[in-house]
Amino acid sequence: MRTPLRRVRMIGVLALVLTCALSLGAHVGSPDVFYEGDAGPYRLFVTVRMPQVIPGVAEIQVRCASNDVSAIEFVPMTLSGPGSEFPPTPDLAQPSKEDSQFFTGSLWLMEFGALKVRVTADGSKGKGELSVPVPSYAQRSLKMEKPLAGLLAFLMLFLAIGAVFIAGAAVREGNLQPGETPLPARARRARFVMALTAIAVAGILCLGWSWWSADAGTYQRYINLAKPPAAETTLENGNRLILRAKGQDPEWSQIVKMEEVIPDHNHLMHLFLFSMPGMERMWHLHPERIEGGAFAEELPAMPAGKYQIFADVVSKTGNPWTIVGPVELPQINGKALGGDDSAWSDNAAGGRAASDTVSLLSDGGRMVWLRTKEPLMANRPMSFTFSVEDKDGKPTSDLQPYMGMAGHAEFVSKDLSVFAHVHPAGSVPMAALELGRAGVSNESHAGMSMALANAAMPAKVRFPYGFPRSGDYRIFVQVKRAGKIETGVFDARVQ
Amino acid sequence: MADSIPVGQSLQARVDGHASARVDSVPWTIWCMVAGIASGMIGGHWDISWHMSIGRDSFWTPAHILIQMIAVLVGIACGYMILTTTFGSDAAAQDASVKIWGFRGPLGAFIATWGCIAMLTSAPFDNWWHNAYGLDVKIVSPPHTLLSLGSFAIKVGALALMAGLMSRASEEVRRTLTWLFVFVGADGVVQLGTILTDATWPMNLHNARCYLAVAMAIPPVLIGAAWGLGRRWACTLVAGGYTAILLAFEWVLPLIPAQAKLGPVYQNITHLVPLHFPLLVIAPAVVLDLLWNKTEQWGRWKLAAVSGPVFVLSFLAAEWPFASFLMTPPARNWFFGMGYFAYFDPAGLSYDPYQFQLADKTSGEFWLRIGIALVVSVVTARIGFAWGEWMRRLRR
Repeated sequence: MRTPLRRVRMIGVLALVLTCALSLGAHVGSPDVFYEGDAGPYRLFVTVRMPQVIPGVAEIQVRCASNDVSAIEFVPMTLSGPGSEFPPTPDLAQPSKEDSQFFTGSLWLMEFGALKVRVTADGSKGKGELSVPVPSYAQRSLKMEKPLAGLLAFLMLFLAIGAVFIAGAAVREGNLQPGETPLPARARRARFVMALTAIAVAGILCLGWSWWSADAGTYQRYINLAKPPAAETTLENGNRLILRAKGQDPEWSQIVKMEEVIPDHNHLMHLFLFSMPGMERMWHLHPERIEGGAFAEELPAMPAGKYQIFADVVSKTGNPWTIVGPVELPQINGKALGGDDSAWSDNAAGGRAASDTVSLLSDGGRMVWLRTKEPLMANRPMSFTFSVEDKDGKPTSDLQPYMGMAGHAEFVSKDLSVFAHVHPAGSVPMAALELGRAGVSNESHAGMSMALANAAMPAKVRFPYGFPRSGDYRIFVQVKRAGKIETGVFDARVQ
Repeated sequence: MADSIPVGQSLQARVDGHASARVDSVPWTIWCMVAGIASGMIGGHWDISWHMSIGRDSFWTPAHILIQMIAVLVGIACGYMILTTTFGSDAAAQDASVKIWGFRGPLGAFIATWGCIAMLTSAPFDNWWHNAYGLDVKIVSPPHTLLSLGSFAIKVGALALMAGLMSRASEEVRRTLTWLFVFVGADGVVQLGTILTDATWPMNLHNARCYLAVAMAIPPVLIGAAWGLGRRWACTLVAGGYTAILLAFEWVLPLIPAQAKLGPVYQNITHLVPLHFPLLVIAPAVVLDLLWNKTEQWGRWKLAAVSGPVFVLSFLAAEWPFASFLMTPPARNWFFGMGYFAYFDPAGLSYDPYQFQLADKTSGEFWLRIGIALVVSVVTARIGFAWGEWMRRLRR
């Protein structure tokens, strides 16, 4: 139960939810959270499988890099502000019988919005903590299975008819002295009352159905508001793409102000354009905001055709959104790429993969996906490790931070139902990570810009992630080498 | 109304002396039903407190088991009554029964059985509701309403059973049944009061909607149970029972240590958190009893036309200043319970729990809603009189 204050009207709640939800809508079709970081002296790979409904139970998996962790505990808290100070009684993760470095557990997530899971590891080196921001929002509503629907319908019919007959018996015999037989007049009156009761019961059932429908509709609006907004595009002057976001619910634009989005990795928007079908070309561009909350980009040279848009923005409260939609473009004779903009083409020199695990880079080097021969499985957290080699096949030594990160990876399903923009720390946004770290002094994150600023860049870059469902995917891995952005592309079939 | 029964004529005055159906002791089935109802009442409030304090639960929490016991105990009692009456050879029991679908039994047993089935139906419905829309955090949802309806039907059935027995009972048995009747009636008021928790939260007690909600829900049960009992000060007895039950929960539950097991946690929890101080329903109940002592011969509509507004206005007169007191520091103690907050309640963090949340924009809007409450109270009071009178006429 809730206090009345918390039972504010729907839009008020949603406004609160969406403006607070820092990691809401960060990806498309990929709700689970993957995070790799240090809990004090222990390196942990944490996977949070989000519940379909809120409140609901999240499944949590923790893999320890070392074998000196004896216990893992976790608690849910708000990411920041009220509720981020008092942890409830922690849940204890269960160690795997087969693998002592693997722990699993479940955790109730009770609220919509930006939460964090605080993970505490205990072992031979003492205790360490880290916090994983999680987007807590409803993903779908459940349809009732036919057997259950049949059972409930039968029971409700039984109750309805039972109520009618009980009312009849009450009128017919209830007031009679013991042993007295009801007169015909009573029987007639009983039938009349039964008819009235039947009408009343039917009315109550209709009201109940309306109530249920209204509740379901409200819940669906929660779901729709959290869905990625649609991209509405126009082309001006032959090469100027104008992009606007339109939420799946009419109230979305009242809650998320595109005029107020903030820079993430130095840019207000990260626009990914994939050629359709096949994703044989990809652009990673950075449009500028114009009046009315729209964004504009002077497109580079592009062939005519159909493209798919995935555009990442972050609202002023740090809430990331991915704007999604198709766009059909004519031949564009556009500007040259510059700054952090990048492009990849299957037809470019060195563009296409040499094999399933090797992608040739434009500078003659190559990117190698270090993976086992085991098939890729859906819903299995993995570390995707890529090694960047120079044209002599040696690990490169000239990698640089690309927009503050060791690398960026985009996992895109061929049917476009999944899009995830992942960094070496995982699938959580950097702004949420910073907020989630408050009060955790001994935590560090892989791949963060501050750490990178003074460190030598290794030739390998690693991304924690897990495919949400089976199917064919294309993975784009972007790194910066000697001032030039290189993109390795890999295809993956997931079972 | 020609066949109206004056308040002074109690059930005990209407023992018909039908020797074969005379009741000389309180049947074990009645004790079993009352035990089930008490179990459900304790379990229900424990469960609410559990959700406010600990959060995480399972099917097998003690509170849930107590709630489930209501269906078990009432099911056993009513099943026994119906089956032995239908298939047994007790002519007296058969004479004092009604017939539904070939089964014979006391009318109250059929009503309570209906309630048990409604409660059982709500279980898979509620489970699916959790999976579809998340673990419910609201008291009032469709499956909870069905559960509550079932629980309330059990009380209606128990009251009907007792009313039927009281009309044929000895003086001593009637005395015992009277107290059991008061307890079950009071629990009915407790149940409806709990459903009104949201509207009657202390911060809402200066809103007209609060009084409208109370006018809609409380009079049918309070007046119905009191009128059904048919004795002087019956309304005060039922309202007193309601107050005593809720005070007991408010004072006892915090003695049990507890820790929040779900998050986020906004309040440091060290013990079970109860609901708030009961509504001052006792005040209008006393006024109604005084009124009824002087209006025995009135027709029921006339009585309802006066009793309903008297109930609302006397409740408003008592609750309004008391609500103001609840917002002050002297109320933040174990007695008045204004210092208790659920673990998920950001009271004092996101809002001030000691400020009224005023929903009425103007005084005109406030008095319009109070006016509606007065009109509604006439109808709900009439429903209460009708139900009470029906119980007083029950013989089977």
